[in-house]
Amino acid sequence: MQEQTRAYLRGRFGDHYRRTEFTPPPEANEREWGYVPWTDSPGETMVRHRSLLDMGSLEDFLAREKPKHVYFSAGRYDDPGASSMGAKTWRSSDLVFDLDADHLPSVTLGEDSYAEMLAKCKDALKRLLDFLDDDFGFDDLTVVFSGGRGYHVHVRDETVQQLESDSRREIVDYVRGIGLDPELVETTEMRGGVTARVLETEGGWGRRVHEHLLTFVDDLLAMDDDEAKARLQEMDGIGEGRANTIYGALENNAEALEAGNIELGGVGLRTLLDAFVSEVVEQQNAPIDEPVTTDVNRLIRLPGSLHGGSALQVQRIDRADLDAFDPLVDAVPETFVGHEINVDVTDPGPVELKGDSFNLQAGEVSVPEYLGAFLMARGRAEKAPE
Amino acid sequence: MTIQPIHARYPFRETARQAVGEAGVDLAALVAEDAAVVERGVERVVWALEDGTVGDAHDVDRIELLSYPVARVLVSQVDEHILTRRYAEAEAATAYERFTADFADTTELKSANAQQLSLSDLLAEFDLSGVIRSADGSLASGASETSPERRSGGGIGDGSAVVSDGQSREFRVEVGTYLDLASDQRGDEWGLVNRALADGEVVVDGEELLVLLRQAVRHRVEDGLPLNVPAAIESELEAEAADLRERLSELDLTRDIDTVVPELFPPCMKSLLDRVQKGEHLEHHSRFAIASFLTSIGMTTDEIVDIFQVNPGFGEEATRYQVDHIRGATSPTDYSPPSCATMQSYGDCVNKDDICEDVIDESHPLNYYEHRLDQEDEDDLTDWREQRGDDDAEADSEA
Repeated sequence: MQEQTRAYLRGRFGDHYRRTEFTPPPEANEREWGYVPWTDSPGETMVRHRSLLDMGSLEDFLAREKPKHVYFSAGRYDDPGASSMGAKTWRSSDLVFDLDADHLPSVTLGEDSYAEMLAKCKDALKRLLDFLDDDFGFDDLTVVFSGGRGYHVHVRDETVQQLESDSRREIVDYVRGIGLDPELVETTEMRGGVTARVLETEGGWGRRVHEHLLTFVDDLLAMDDDEAKARLQEMDGIGEGRANTIYGALENNAEALEAGNIELGGVGLRTLLDAFVSEVVEQQNAPIDEPVTTDVNRLIRLPGSLHGGSALQVQRIDRADLDAFDPLVDAVPETFVGHEINVDVTDPGPVELKGDSFNLQAGEVSVPEYLGAFLMARGRAEKAPE
Repeated sequence: MTIQPIHARYPFRETARQAVGEAGVDLAALVAEDAAVVERGVERVVWALEDGTVGDAHDVDRIELLSYPVARVLVSQVDEHILTRRYAEAEAATAYERFTADFADTTELKSANAQQLSLSDLLAEFDLSGVIRSADGSLASGASETSPERRSGGGIGDGSAVVSDGQSREFRVEVGTYLDLASDQRGDEWGLVNRALADGEVVVDGEELLVLLRQAVRHRVEDGLPLNVPAAIESELEAEAADLRERLSELDLTRDIDTVVPELFPPCMKSLLDRVQKGEHLEHHSRFAIASFLTSIGMTTDEIVDIFQVNPGFGEEATRYQVDHIRGATSPTDYSPPSCATMQSYGDCVNKDDICEDVIDESHPLNYYEHRLDQEDEDDLTDWREQRGDDDAEADSEA
């Protein structure tokens, strides 16, 4: 990035911060703050271990320093400005999740467009929110578009605040389905003096596998006999004999199955279930970035700030608006709308932004400022003279 | 409040603490004058080290109860991470035995027995009444176990507290509480991913609940340890503390690790082993450190010679002699591996990591290794000796 580009972006970030009102996170004065200034050195240097006390008011600080990136800590401390973690004295931490397109198995880097990556990321976000709402029953969730390639979720329920890193790892493993033991989604029940194997239907991955099984059975029973048995034989380890047994059991025991009883289908049904376990994990897990969640001292982007690598706004999203939220429209900062600027495009190609598609040629061109800022922040253009 | 049997039976409880307070006991005077209390206090800690429980209760409730604060002072005075942990685990193990028995006692007269603890009392003790409930609703928060008329009655849920009609009862534990109380359990079945979690609650059965409560006791006992021990008490208990330190160091020798997983070795031992295998000449103290370490984790002389012998320039006879010497085969003394402090003074302490600094408090390389083994799932560990055995077997079958 050339000097005039850096100076331009820094100045306009400052303009943005002067006009923007912030809702800081709760207990902002107990948190550590950090930022990355606009510098010409290669690589970015984070300034951290700041407290609000050191910085003065957040708005003044941002308008004055005009940083490239701004972060605050998930943790709260006695002395957030102390220069080492030990000296800060940890009090509590929000539980934070990060979904980044770079880490999604469904994303093909270099092939998916930015918009496609973000859409896949939102699907993963919804799966994550399912876990957080239904399984964990958390109430205090803040969903944030990261300004880059993904989403953050901040959980601030009282019950998570004291969790240690190991406990947070258990939560990571849960939402990712890591370490799920197919045998442990089953349990045993006493039925008339004998133990019967049943699926765990009350919650957890067992319930997900059970729901998957019921859907599968519904689909199966909607088919005619031969079609259904052929479908069963598509599964690994199920031949004609087992398919017949399973089909018979499913046909006649809908209620027992509904209750989770899996004794009735014999070995065949168990084989089917084992396959379902990995299928369900693959379809339903939320591939969050583990270190972000397990690190109780993690710094996270400040909602409302600008992302220096995209010039998009790090944006809180109302749960009711999540379906309609389009990061490439809704996270375009108002500050950059309504002006045209000249840029020198160095990395031409298509861009989708604010509902428009642009096909950019190399060289000097006049573009809407939000597009120019986006291109410059992403290293695809330099500022050209007006 | 006078001292009652139930105070002695569960000395970590708040009511027991109050009973000690109201008895007007001065701890300094107690340790100076009451040999029986000190003796039982020492016994608690010794049993913790040797048996994993705190032993049988003293017949006299007062002595039994007062020995608990004395034991905590002793543990604080020795101030070794490993002792504190074992002691807290042992108090928890004993409490677990006792409350399991109390909950299982279904005699009709139990409601008149003020000396048994009820499940709801125990939950209330750890502020868990609001976060743990029985699935059938019989532990609803309305059952106030702390109200006076309830206190002697034991409240709801005893007798059939965790088992009903031969079936383990189901409970719901708030997920944060579950993660906290299950954090020491290693088996896969304790992993959150394998639990029924719904609406922020984890389903556990009665026996599992008891295990979680054992952990709650452990936390309570550990809380505040090490205490600041006043100088007057410290000098009074000097001989007892010295004896415990002695026992602790002996324990390092006899601890029953018998697992060889070089990946989990502390960085110092990894480095020494690496150097031996590269054929570097080690000074005597370094060879002693690695050889005694390997001996302590259950390796035989032959195996140690074997693991050393990666390079041709290796002096087998010298190693064999030295290892035999360390194990006491050629000399009457067993040698335990050096502590972190000794390793540091010889310059053998290298590549210190977080576990060295934060978990084992730079105490002893064996503590490091034990901690790493504890952290791993046993089923995932491959013993170096088995691996070697496999290699041999393959070679044999090919031959």
